[in-house]
Amino acid sequence: MTRMRRKAGTAEFHTVKRIDNSRLVRNVEPAKLRNLWRAVAVSSMIAAFFMLYIFQHFRCIDLSFQLEDLKAQHMKAAALNSELKLEIAGLRNPMRIDTIARRRLGLTQPLPTQVQEFEAPDGAEVAAARYVRPNRAP
Amino acid sequence: MQQDRAHVRLLILAGVALFWMVAVFGRLSYLQLFRHGEYLARAQRQQQRTIEITPKRGTIFDRNRKPLAMSIPVDSAFGVPSEIVDEHLAARLLSGVVGKPQEELEARFESSRSFVWIARKLPPEKAEAITALNLKGIYLQKENQRFYPKRDLAAHVLGFVDLDEKGLGGIEYELDNEIRGASGKIVVMEDARKRWFDGSQAKLEAGADVFLTLDEKIQYLAQRELDQAIASTHAIAGTAVVMNPNTGEILALANWPTFNPNRAGDAKAEARMDRAVSALYEPGSTFKLITLAAAFNEGITRPSEVFDCENGSVLVAGHRIHDHKRFGLLNVSQILAQSSDVGAIKIALRLQAPRFYDYIRAFGFGTPTGVDLPGESKGLLRPLENWGSFSIGSISMGQEIGVTPIQLIAAVSAIANGGLLYKPHVVAQLQRAGHALQIDDVLEPMEPKRVIRPETAATLRRLMEGVVLEGTGPKARLDGWTSAGKTGSAQKIDPSTGRYSRTQFIASFTGFAPINNPAVAILVSLDSPVGQHEGGEVAAPVFKRVAEAVLTYLDVPRDVPLNPKLIQAAYKKHASEDASALEDFSTVDFSGQPDPLPVASQMMKPIGQAPSTFRKPPLTVAVDEGGEVEIPDFSGKTMREVADISLRLGLDPVLVGSNLALNQSPAAGVKVRRGAKITVQFGTPPEKNSKPRPGHRN
Repeated sequence: MTRMRRKAGTAEFHTVKRIDNSRLVRNVEPAKLRNLWRAVAVSSMIAAFFMLYIFQHFRCIDLSFQLEDLKAQHMKAAALNSELKLEIAGLRNPMRIDTIARRRLGLTQPLPTQVQEFEAPDGAEVAAARYVRPNRAP
Repeated sequence: MQQDRAHVRLLILAGVALFWMVAVFGRLSYLQLFRHGEYLARAQRQQQRTIEITPKRGTIFDRNRKPLAMSIPVDSAFGVPSEIVDEHLAARLLSGVVGKPQEELEARFESSRSFVWIARKLPPEKAEAITALNLKGIYLQKENQRFYPKRDLAAHVLGFVDLDEKGLGGIEYELDNEIRGASGKIVVMEDARKRWFDGSQAKLEAGADVFLTLDEKIQYLAQRELDQAIASTHAIAGTAVVMNPNTGEILALANWPTFNPNRAGDAKAEARMDRAVSALYEPGSTFKLITLAAAFNEGITRPSEVFDCENGSVLVAGHRIHDHKRFGLLNVSQILAQSSDVGAIKIALRLQAPRFYDYIRAFGFGTPTGVDLPGESKGLLRPLENWGSFSIGSISMGQEIGVTPIQLIAAVSAIANGGLLYKPHVVAQLQRAGHALQIDDVLEPMEPKRVIRPETAATLRRLMEGVVLEGTGPKARLDGWTSAGKTGSAQKIDPSTGRYSRTQFIASFTGFAPINNPAVAILVSLDSPVGQHEGGEVAAPVFKRVAEAVLTYLDVPRDVPLNPKLIQAAYKKHASEDASALEDFSTVDFSGQPDPLPVASQMMKPIGQAPSTFRKPPLTVAVDEGGEVEIPDFSGKTMREVADISLRLGLDPVLVGSNLALNQSPAAGVKVRRGAKITVQFGTPPEKNSKPRPGHRN
């Protein structure tokens, strides 16, 4: 239809030109490619560096919190330890032990004949010498 | 044309960007270069927190590493007034918890200060209650609090501290710099939620631990016996000191009145006074030891020399001195044993004042001993040029001279150990973070010095034994050990008349045991006992009880056999002791011990487990609780052998006759209970058995 109308005016010829560019080969320059990869590598390294920096920074803060928590726990444990030592010391008060022994248990001092003395083993020192401290004058 | 317009627009945009960048960088530069310090400080105030860390005060141990004073962290409450929203409400709530008036707390919160204390060193339950209130601007801070778990045990040696843990007495004061350590600061970062992180390590010096020469058990024995003596004699004050005479180590130092260092503020100054090192008194007859030591060492007399005691009075420089008895002729041994003032004066007159003065100084009187306790008195000894004509007479019998108990026991220890005067000391070792410190850098060292010859000391020891055996101090005779000592009954000056009182005395006894190898030297003095006032009557029994308990505790071998009569008496007393033991001590409530008793162990107990009242103490002695023994055959044995065997078996021997054992009742092989009486008859055996065995001693 169109052809018919146009036929009445100017004649148009539609020719199909087949172009074969299969022989065209894209020329890749190795230097540019190297630069490209280098840029990618550098960028990646910089990005990784910043990522690592940020990670370790926040990790450090996180660990600092944990460390302070552990320090607090350690202090609590140390305080409890001190309290227990104090309690033990109080319970071992000779006056308390003596009073319990006499009042609650009804114990009395042993008679001289109830205490049996044994021969001192070889090398034993008498009491007076046993308590000499070496850091004092002889 | 269109290209030109686009170019202009681009230039304008670039100019604006450049201006913006220049402005930003300019501002940054200004802030960084010119206002750096100000903004840094503001940032630090906002983000950082500086905390002063006070190191824990060092622990004080006895010689066996038993803690006597220690610090534990407790909470203190403080407020930041600028952060408190409702002062009235906060004050009302806190008032109910800490027990302070609401008005006082409100006034503090309304002050312009940036920090106010609410209550310091709170018990755990109160700290928890404050935390539970969750009030804005109210915080808790850890502080260390000093506790003395044995309460008044060795209170005068330990001393006490104030609210800021500054030592105010005893070792706490003397070694405050070492025990306290040096505080340091830490800086922590704080986030928006006030959580801490990134804290720096504080450079602080830990407080040094102190190891004393005291033994808490010996200390307790000394305190217990002193308390009983005070209760029975109604004395106004007393002192008991136990020392190792071979080293100068003080094993126990007890004073009465005493105080609880956990509540030192409640105690009177008199109770906090360490009388052993600060209180002066005239030693009375105990000073005759120094008179005789000087005389023997100078060779001007000998123990057997006889002096005429002139029927109990002598005239010296116009003053007539009366003895407590009318003595006639006494040798020097008897002068000491009977404590004759006239005899002592005559010996001193022969010695003459200059030499006597030199010996008094040599024994350490008139100068501080250098004991590592604060407030030591040097005593009262006038210079020789200020002595009056009567001074030599007065001083020879222990008047006109003031001594401290620590000076006297140091001098007696010198006699006990063979003539060496040691510096008394209570500090054995200092440790910081487990490493021993050089003690000589902290405390002044003093080498022992010889004051008398060993022979002189030996002579004096023998004479002092005579005081116990046949003199004024028989009540200081020990059961199983030899002992030596000297009694003293010094009149006190009556402040109202300025003369010697006839009713107030210082009764004292100082001695040591055993004689040949003394393990302990002990001094007991009682100020103004009511009724009996002689040292031999009121102080010597305390010496005996302390010495026997301490020597048993130290496992010092007995050097004399037990007196059978004493054993018999002990058995008779045994039943009554069971009942009287309950009366030995006044009622003691340990529910609040220590002050306050931490509840740490209760926190750790499994739920539902009943708290145990006590645990079995470890056995320290081998005790035979009776049972039957088979009586051995004593025939042919000497009296000593029979006595030794009987005592070893727990029998009560009755020895009749002399020479060798012939008969016995009950017979050999019969089983009897321990403590049973066995009669052994001695006599001359038939001819064939009469030869003594080789090596036998009788």
